[in-house]
Amino acid sequence: MADDKDVLRDVWFGRIPTCFLLNQDEVTEREAEPYYLLLPRVSYLTLVTDKVKKHFHKVIRTEDAEEMWFEYEGTPLKWHYPIGVLFDLHASNTVLPWSITVHFKNFPDRDLLHCPSHSVIEAHFMSSIKEADALKHKSQVVNDMQKKDHKQLWMGLQNDKFDQFWAMNRKLMEYPTEDGGFRFIPFRIYQTMSDRPFIQKQYRPVSPEGNVHTLGDLMKAMYPVALSNEGEPKRFQVVIHGIEPLLETPLQWLSEHLSHPDNFLHICVIPVPSD
Amino acid sequence: MAAGALRGGGRAAETRWRRHIVGQLKLRDLRQHDKFQDLIRFYTRLLEKTSLTNARVCLFCAPRCPSSDSSLSTLLHQNNQLKKTTGELAYQVVQLQQQIQIKDSVLEEQHARRQQEECRLQGVFDSRLVLQGRVEMVRAEMGALKSDYDVLLERQRGAETKLRQEELRGRDLLQDVIHLKQREAANMNTRNERRCSCCSAPTSRSSSPKLQPESDPQPPRPPRLFRSASAMSPRILTSIRELFERRRGLSVSSLQEDRLFPVGVCLSARLPARALHVLEAHEQGINAVRFNSSSQLLATGGTDRAVKLWDVGAGGKLEGSTEGITCIEFDPTGPRVLAASYDKSALLWRLDDPIPKVTLTGHSRRVTAARFSLNLQVVTGSADRTVRLWDLQRACCVQVVEVASYCSDLICSGYCIISGHYDGKIRVWDTRAVRCIQELPARGKVTSLDISPDHRQLLSCCRDDCLQLVDLRGWSYERVCFRADGFKCGSDSTKAVISPDGCFLAAGSADGAVYIWNVSTGNLETRLPDKHSSSISAVSWSPSGEYVVSVDLSRRAVLWSDL
Repeated sequence: MADDKDVLRDVWFGRIPTCFLLNQDEVTEREAEPYYLLLPRVSYLTLVTDKVKKHFHKVIRTEDAEEMWFEYEGTPLKWHYPIGVLFDLHASNTVLPWSITVHFKNFPDRDLLHCPSHSVIEAHFMSSIKEADALKHKSQVVNDMQKKDHKQLWMGLQNDKFDQFWAMNRKLMEYPTEDGGFRFIPFRIYQTMSDRPFIQKQYRPVSPEGNVHTLGDLMKAMYPVALSNEGEPKRFQVVIHGIEPLLETPLQWLSEHLSHPDNFLHICVIPVPSD
Repeated sequence: MAAGALRGGGRAAETRWRRHIVGQLKLRDLRQHDKFQDLIRFYTRLLEKTSLTNARVCLFCAPRCPSSDSSLSTLLHQNNQLKKTTGELAYQVVQLQQQIQIKDSVLEEQHARRQQEECRLQGVFDSRLVLQGRVEMVRAEMGALKSDYDVLLERQRGAETKLRQEELRGRDLLQDVIHLKQREAANMNTRNERRCSCCSAPTSRSSSPKLQPESDPQPPRPPRLFRSASAMSPRILTSIRELFERRRGLSVSSLQEDRLFPVGVCLSARLPARALHVLEAHEQGINAVRFNSSSQLLATGGTDRAVKLWDVGAGGKLEGSTEGITCIEFDPTGPRVLAASYDKSALLWRLDDPIPKVTLTGHSRRVTAARFSLNLQVVTGSADRTVRLWDLQRACCVQVVEVASYCSDLICSGYCIISGHYDGKIRVWDTRAVRCIQELPARGKVTSLDISPDHRQLLSCCRDDCLQLVDLRGWSYERVCFRADGFKCGSDSTKAVISPDGCFLAAGSADGAVYIWNVSTGNLETRLPDKHSSSISAVSWSPSGEYVVSVDLSRRAVLWSDL
């Protein structure tokens, strides 16, 4: 369906306008200009911020520059979450562009993973894909792939090549017609209200009675608080890729079309803005 | 997509959530992406520009600071430096030009060499073409040679197959020859066996031994012992022959029979007085002896199975009998010899051929007598109590006469056959009627018969040591007996003879002496003793009257004469 292909493209090419500001505490030779960038939602922070690093290196002393990390309103941003998830989770209802503070000192080891090179990101990305395929196909598809196929997936993401990526990712999205979907839907539900980083459980796309599970079914099973009862005002938003899909949307379809390149369906549950 | 298709809900519901998502996404992009896209691009560009300007400002600011003097000196210095650099560059230019010239010359040289090489290449190409032409020619020649060779090979193959066939044929022929030889050898062996075992008579003329290997047509030493003695007889004969030549016998069919032949007639027989030759003539006892009509040949037959011819001309040895010879007679015309044999057959030879021409078989016991008769017929008498008549032309028996007793000898006289028997009878048979027309008594076993040349008198010899002369004229059959002291008939086949002139009788005795009686007086005329050591079996008086031959059972032959 042409619509579905458009959905995939929209998901892939989703961008977030971001303003990178150097932390005030950093010692600079001269005043640091802010750096603006359109960040791809499906990518990772450390993968797309080389220019930012270069920009700020001009104004700080080289010997002072340690590993760069990002922070938004006091929250260190985990680079191993997709950018879209970080934005939806922390800044979905703020004024654009998204202002991110750049740090070169005092790396918060307790909160963040180190990211010395792109190969670390690649390892994380591939392990996510393998995990997702283990849920979907008992790892059969990903294990049948050759090394170069894995490389193709990664290079597609790294170089923002939609066709290159999906030529291979298509295989990961296939399933036997008689099953009606994947074994389990790889999903993660994020929320900011508790210390728990995310919810991830085994959940089938089709109920034992043969009914198709929807997004609402999933939320009811995993996180019933997120759903508002009849007559009550809505308290939480269920956001995927910056939008709120209808709860009646089939889970299998969502997994196929609104998953991130790491093949997980990242769902953010955020409180409805009070104003 | 598949999930959408599977979905049980209505199409409206299905499109609702899909449309919602699409719309939301569009809205999201509008808000978050499109609004900021250009702005951020412009900002980035501006940022780059400002950084560039900053750098230039820095550059400009820096040199402006020192004074103009120093700048002038700096400029001069720079000028000097530039000049120096120019000079260096010019020098480099010169050097490079020189290098260019060198390179040019090298290039020229190489060009020339290249042209040379091209020329050589052309030459080589030409020679290659020539060589190719030659190769083609040689190939063609080779093809021709090959075809020739193939033809030759084919011919050789053909010749080889022919050779093989010829070899095969040669081998076949060799096999045939070997077979023939083997058959011959087998024949000879059977023949030898038959001769040795003495038990079976030759069954037919065809089986008569044609291939007698040891037969020697020309005996190495023909015995010519009597040559000197007989040298004068032809002369006498020829003188008389002219006077008495007449046609004899009634020839029926044979050309040979139609020929005129001389018959010698002896006017007076000479009484033998002494032995001319004494000879061990055979290897075993001699049973029969006979002169031929011309007195030139003497035939002896013995127990050693051979008939030996003595005297001038065709002397030789006639073989073919497998048993001892009992009786010999010459063909009146001369060229043939008839012999009777113990092997139940009678054999006929030509004098010039040692192999029997005809073998007459049919008797069941030994043949004791064989005589030529009229009309090219032969009469034989046998111990099986039959007398048989044979046609020589057909070589078969034409008549069998049962004679009631052992026939010891017989004589042919015209159509009469006179036979002597062991029952002491002499029987006269008519061959035309086949019946006995006369029976003459004798005094014991008749051992031999002889008839005078004029066919008037019949001599018979009996075991009672008496010779009996019967006058055949008329039907009186007067008998005269001849005896002598010491004369003793030695065997059942002792043969006595009448002299050719009919005046004497000769017989051999058991004491080894030849007794000669005078017919007219009836007395013993002479006795020739001491030459024989055993019983004399036969005597023969030559038709010319000159010689008497006696043979005994101890292989000795003695030629007597009055000379």
